[in-house]
Amino acid sequence: MTISRREMLQATAAGAAAMALPLVNVAPTAPQTAKFFTPAEFALVDEMSDMIIPTDQQSGGARAAGVAAYIDARLAESFEPEPPQRWRAGIQAVEALSREMSGKPFMESTPEQRLALLTRIAAAESDPKTDAEKFFREIKSSTIRAYYTSKIGIHDDQQYKGNVIQPGEYAGYDAT
Amino acid sequence: MTLIRFRASQEQDVDLSRTYDAVVVGSGAAGGMAAHVLTSQGMKVLLLEAGKKIPVEQELRSMEWPYDHPRRGEAPPGYHAIRFNEYTVRQPPYAKGSAFKHVFSYVGGWGGSDYVKNILVDEKDHPYTGTKYAWVRARLLGGKTNIWGRLALRLSDYDFKGKTHDGYGEDWPISYADIEPYYDKVDLYLGISGHKENLPHLPDSLFQRPNKLTGAEVKLRKSLATMGRTLTPYRAGVTTDGVKNKYRSKCFGRGACDRRPGGCDIHAAFDSPTGLIYPAMDTGNLTLRTNSVAHEVLVDPNTGKARGVSFVDSQNHRTYEAKAKVVIVAASTLESARLLLLSKSRQHPNGIGNSSGHVGHNFCEHVMGPGVTGLVKEMVGAPPTLDDGKPGGFYVPRFRNLQDKQPGFIRGYGFEGSSGFSIFPHSVWGTPGFGGQFKKSVREHAGAFISMGAFGEVLARYENYMDLDPEQKDAWGIPVLRFHYEFSDNEKKMCEDMANAGKEMLEAAGIEVVGVDKTILTEGWSIHELGTARMGTDPKTSVLNQFQQSHDVKNLFVVDGSSHVSASCQNPTWTIMALAWRSCEHLADEFKRGNL
Repeated sequence: MTISRREMLQATAAGAAAMALPLVNVAPTAPQTAKFFTPAEFALVDEMSDMIIPTDQQSGGARAAGVAAYIDARLAESFEPEPPQRWRAGIQAVEALSREMSGKPFMESTPEQRLALLTRIAAAESDPKTDAEKFFREIKSSTIRAYYTSKIGIHDDQQYKGNVIQPGEYAGYDAT
Repeated sequence: MTLIRFRASQEQDVDLSRTYDAVVVGSGAAGGMAAHVLTSQGMKVLLLEAGKKIPVEQELRSMEWPYDHPRRGEAPPGYHAIRFNEYTVRQPPYAKGSAFKHVFSYVGGWGGSDYVKNILVDEKDHPYTGTKYAWVRARLLGGKTNIWGRLALRLSDYDFKGKTHDGYGEDWPISYADIEPYYDKVDLYLGISGHKENLPHLPDSLFQRPNKLTGAEVKLRKSLATMGRTLTPYRAGVTTDGVKNKYRSKCFGRGACDRRPGGCDIHAAFDSPTGLIYPAMDTGNLTLRTNSVAHEVLVDPNTGKARGVSFVDSQNHRTYEAKAKVVIVAASTLESARLLLLSKSRQHPNGIGNSSGHVGHNFCEHVMGPGVTGLVKEMVGAPPTLDDGKPGGFYVPRFRNLQDKQPGFIRGYGFEGSSGFSIFPHSVWGTPGFGGQFKKSVREHAGAFISMGAFGEVLARYENYMDLDPEQKDAWGIPVLRFHYEFSDNEKKMCEDMANAGKEMLEAAGIEVVGVDKTILTEGWSIHELGTARMGTDPKTSVLNQFQQSHDVKNLFVVDGSSHVSASCQNPTWTIMALAWRSCEHLADEFKRGNL
């Protein structure tokens, strides 16, 4: 019935996690409207999502696309009790790891220390074991879904060409 | 969203005191076609649909951007779609004991679940029992045609005469020559997009303007040609040049054709209401009653013939009778079998039309799951192009057991596939890491993948069957189906070959294989169920004759996929409609002659 039913394509992508990130715009935006997260939790999710998909020359990142607010709204209305609990526990696991690594909460540690933490929990992405490692998968997946369905993700970043009227022939090549 | 309120069903202005020429149960591809053909022949027809009539355009919203939807297309909290692992580890009824407010088949878990939440049935109201089965049902005017995948293929004598070809099963009581003129009629009346290939096993239709291919698809097409295989633009039941039908628009290449499940709110893609039912109503010969859950074909105690249909109004739960001179069952393969089995009487103690005991048996469908994904290296870093907003991707027709003879299995399979840029970059899921490099890599690979998944013929076997559960009932107190069905070795061996052959084809084209999926999806996943009231020449081993007319009851016809003798590997909708057209023409002739 469908063209493609696979949720996941086994892509080969260039290399492992990148290191040289442009560390700009790290000041958390004040979460005036968070429905589920506490202000501190919101700040952490906002920052982490923006480290996963940062602003670059092509387009704004997760912060600009409002990813944390989107995740917050979904968790606030979650029918199942488990996802909000899982997120809260995941954030606590990250905070615990941050204290272990830098002696400070995540948002009070330096950009370099935050990067070191994220790099560490991302390294186990294919087989996460600790709660913090599992949280990386969770927040990355949600960041991806929220970002690439946003205006910035679709139009600025992907420069998506579709959902436009094609009055004549379809774009593409003939089967000759 | 504006809510349009239709009149409550108890106010439905349908005259049930009169005797109609024909009553049709079900308004999908088969029932819609029956309504079209019979009303165009001047017969007075009552069409019963179990589901509601909803303003489907407001559900589908094909051109809506994800960010204009509060949940980016997802259904509200409390809606749950059954997942693959739930189908695997649990037994039906899957919604039993669920804490969720609404439970849907797996289709409700695809991206865009909010667009189908009023189209798919709630499993809580529609349980079934027995062996594991992913049963996808849509109860509304038009049934599953509202969201079908649109792949519109013809069968050939490799299918109709399969037994002659390889000795297995039964031949159909018709050949391609019998049905060809009706395929033509369906093509012309509804519109179909495609490219001529002159393949004996996949006959061409009377095509309108075809889809285009992506660069990657052209590359694979050329390579496959050297192997004697074909990649052709998706043959879509979509009008690309327009048809004479005021309820439909021709495709203008915009929309979420890629959004799963389908649906087309400009009705360029065929759906039964705009393609068949509304034009039939314009003849003045069609009466429609929705919210009408048929549960028994009524029998004249003197003649043993069908005299009408008993149904429950789904809104007021009252039972009504519709009287007719001819009864046409078109409720879908499984629901039609259920209705026949429910219709027990003194003359028909095993269910109407079931003197053979074959109703519910010989179930067949398509097995799916195995597939491959490739990376087209020269597309990495290519600037984005417009690769969707067209009726579909591509199709690779069957190539097994035509001239050759495979050692491990009989019959064959075809691949459906797609490639290129889409509204959501599929490259993200396989891209590891985070940060600027991750983001750049997703961008560079967004249009560089090609993927295809196979659909294979499940052999019709008497041992695969459905009967009525002695205990379990649905929300209207009607006994439900109980499944006794599993894949055989032939399907399992075929699935191994699908994955290997897919890999081989990509590699031969110089495409790097980055994913090989060998998982066989749950029985029923293809939504191509067939065969539970098969046609045949022998009344002892078949239910219907070549005109989908009951061997036992001459004024009873079953015109949907239940009549198919074998599944082929080609998608069934176009054949369902061509057969229904042929049978209903015959029916109308016989009716006029007084032979029914």
